[in-house]
Amino acid sequence: MSICQDLGLNFQQRMGANISQLERDIGSEQFPPNEHYFGLVNFGNTCYSNSVLQALYFCRPFREKVLEYKAKNKRTKETLLTCLADLFYSIATQKKKVGSIAPKKFIARLRKEKEEFDNYMQQDAHEFLNFLINHINEIILAERNQSTLKLQKNVSGESVTCNGTLPHSSEPTWVHEIFQGTLTSETRCLNCETVSSKDEHFFDLQVDVGQNTSITHCLKCFSDTETLCNDNKFKCDNCSSYQEAQKRMRVKKLPLILALHLKRFKYMEQYNRHIKVSHRVVFPLELRLFNTSDDAVNPDRLYDLVAVVVHCGSGPNRGHYISIVKSHGFWLLFDDDMVDKIDASAIEDFYGLTSDIQKSSETGYILFYQSRDASC
Amino acid sequence: MAVQSDSGGKDDVKTQFVTREGTYRLMTLSEYSRPNRVGYTSGSGSSHVRVSLVSLPPGPGGGTPGSDGQGSDDRICFNHGKELYVYVYRGIKKAADLTKPVDKKMYKGTNPTCHDFNTITMTLDSVSLVIGFSTGQIQLIDPIKKELSKLYNEEFFCLIFILPTIVFSTRWVIGAEGSSINEFAFSPCGTNLAVVSQDGFLRVFHYDTMELIGRARSYFGGFLCVCWSPDGKYVVVGGEDDLVTVWSFNERRVVARGQGHRSWVSVVAFDPYVVSFTDEQAEETEEDKKSESVQCYRLGSVSQDTQLCLWDLTEDVLRPPVRARASAHLSPNSQTFSPNGVIGMKVAPKAAKTNKIGHKHAELNSNASGEPSGAKQKTKVNNVSTLNISVGKAKEETSGSLGVNSLTQRLAGFSFGERRSEHRRNFSLTKPADQKTSASNSVALRGKSAGAQSDSYDPLKLIGTPSCPRFDECPVLEPLVCKKIAHERLTALLFRSEYFVTACADGCVNTWARPARAHNGEARPQRRFERIDLVD
Repeated sequence: MSICQDLGLNFQQRMGANISQLERDIGSEQFPPNEHYFGLVNFGNTCYSNSVLQALYFCRPFREKVLEYKAKNKRTKETLLTCLADLFYSIATQKKKVGSIAPKKFIARLRKEKEEFDNYMQQDAHEFLNFLINHINEIILAERNQSTLKLQKNVSGESVTCNGTLPHSSEPTWVHEIFQGTLTSETRCLNCETVSSKDEHFFDLQVDVGQNTSITHCLKCFSDTETLCNDNKFKCDNCSSYQEAQKRMRVKKLPLILALHLKRFKYMEQYNRHIKVSHRVVFPLELRLFNTSDDAVNPDRLYDLVAVVVHCGSGPNRGHYISIVKSHGFWLLFDDDMVDKIDASAIEDFYGLTSDIQKSSETGYILFYQSRDASC
Repeated sequence: MAVQSDSGGKDDVKTQFVTREGTYRLMTLSEYSRPNRVGYTSGSGSSHVRVSLVSLPPGPGGGTPGSDGQGSDDRICFNHGKELYVYVYRGIKKAADLTKPVDKKMYKGTNPTCHDFNTITMTLDSVSLVIGFSTGQIQLIDPIKKELSKLYNEEFFCLIFILPTIVFSTRWVIGAEGSSINEFAFSPCGTNLAVVSQDGFLRVFHYDTMELIGRARSYFGGFLCVCWSPDGKYVVVGGEDDLVTVWSFNERRVVARGQGHRSWVSVVAFDPYVVSFTDEQAEETEEDKKSESVQCYRLGSVSQDTQLCLWDLTEDVLRPPVRARASAHLSPNSQTFSPNGVIGMKVAPKAAKTNKIGHKHAELNSNASGEPSGAKQKTKVNNVSTLNISVGKAKEETSGSLGVNSLTQRLAGFSFGERRSEHRRNFSLTKPADQKTSASNSVALRGKSAGAQSDSYDPLKLIGTPSCPRFDECPVLEPLVCKKIAHERLTALLFRSEYFVTACADGCVNTWARPARAHNGEARPQRRFERIDLVD
């Protein structure tokens, strides 16, 4: 049933004609210098990974940090991060401007790292993104700790260790600096009216989707006030008991790159499985958040859409992932090894469907918005 | 928000709703669509359903409406996908007859996207209809006589936009290259032109001098639609920020934002038939009315969220008292905002007795709902007793299109070929216009960034200025009503004296009857609108 077919033969045939077409579409004079558009070969349902990797590659701050990591860490043991860095490096240093590349090492490593991905099944692109970002972050933290230990060993003969100057594990990594935002959840106990607030970090926001809405509206709903009652009461420290309460989550720190995951796979009890919600959710090329907290540092940060991971098909475990990215002012569509230039007006094809009749759809699934003050 | 994919939401489509002036009802028999409509047609690509309405003048023999046997002098035109239909429009009195279109067209390789009737040259048995296409052509036809058919602009692509009674071939280059213009509108007096574009700007020009008079920036995303208040004092825009933004022509600033839509706003339109005056003024004689100022504007908007919103723009919102503004919670880095720099501080003597019509006005604390601290101050006064709501029962041709005469004069002198050459080829606004504005009106565009011109269109620099106030610096309006009225995205909204018309992306054109004005033929307010004083 899977639409996601990685027919090796097929792609070989398609490749030759297509690639030169892309260069023609862009035009040799318009082709941005030092930019490479390389498709990624599918190794059997690995489009979930390909689409996310392409989106991340075109999140410039992320790409630059990965390439920087590659430059700094010449010979370390293989991790998922070194594999990613090698892949990005190999795209960035290609002689040709367009083509396709096989992310063989990365996929092999990924399959070793996480059991769930060690098969030929279709995976959820968001789960993969989530895993990848967290995993990379952990690798950086682990390496930092190691170097700290080494340093501490070196200076252990001395009476005083210079702890203060050493990088501490609580300091943000570059992954934090790029993706991490802070949500503040305020809870008001309806009994004593005490407001307690708690901050939590996020790498992406997961929003419910409504029919014929905008991502702006979905984000506002995300921050709607929710009443905690019945089984879900709130343990109020002041009252020392479970009480009804009102809770609201708003964004306190806006990340450099805002990743928005549209929850399009809903568990339906009557079918006993996840069903794709193809609702039409429009996403503008430019975004500000309405759901910021009062003490937000930069509440009117302006974001630009830079990449979208698109799910094509009818369900979570079937179908296909592609991505559309913005590069040097124009939009490209990456479909595994294929790369096409598309018109910005074609983005509306990925908003979703206004009717439930059609079962299959091509819909925006993960949106990457990059803060404009970061792009320069 | 629990969204079930299969709940469909079919049940909650409203067929009537109530406002303070009464109940609006969907006239289910007055639905216009393609004849023999077959179920669901894949809607993609056919979302630009527009509607044009025209009332043909009485025949030379003083023919009364209906004398032609078709039952009405009104004609309706709408497009859907590759098709375009013209029907006799029978209003709210008689059911639509879809079996006999006046004219129908099917196009190949191009879609009609906009159209308009020429109300100057029309007679009972002849009317020109101009049609714009997705591929840039313009066609002129006569759907009644059927002898006229001309095609323009076949050879090259050029941006063409058509608005009520105006056909206009633009040769101006506005904003960044490649940033498309989504709509434009002439002011009621015909002097000024408001243009909204995908780069998120509203630009208002003096048409003849091509001077930029003022501008506004969306909170984010493109502006999609624009309209003028009937008196030309306000420009209202809607866009991809889901907001309805009100810009004051006199003060050259964004005075309010309306939040209520769940998706992009596709059409904004003032309802000139619902305007409120204070009581005393209403008692005044007809002659004096010209000088009185409107206390409350009625605005309608439709959106891709399938909802219709009606808004009351009241004096107290449009001219907030000093206090309300000064007490705004300003974010620390908003050094650009100084209370005494805010215009409109002259508290009009009338403002004191202005009634607040039930919506949260000047609610500068944008996060009022569920504010845990409870420190919010909601000003919610429901006092409409002294408001005289006058649902204008005016003749279509006079008040129905306030100021149209001056507008349409332009059309009369318009011809497709000539205009082109008269226009300067590349008119770039970025240069002289800005200086002009900051000089001519100290209030407008108080850009501290006036120095660097490239900066003056940088949204990062504009935030916190009168062109784009921060969200908590600007009054946020709530809609008077917000109703889901269709299954599909709404794409058209037209107000008429006895009804209003909506259309949605699946090609259905619906008519909504206004509230019944009086029972048993009882004397109803016979007030007719003279034109409300126009701003020059």
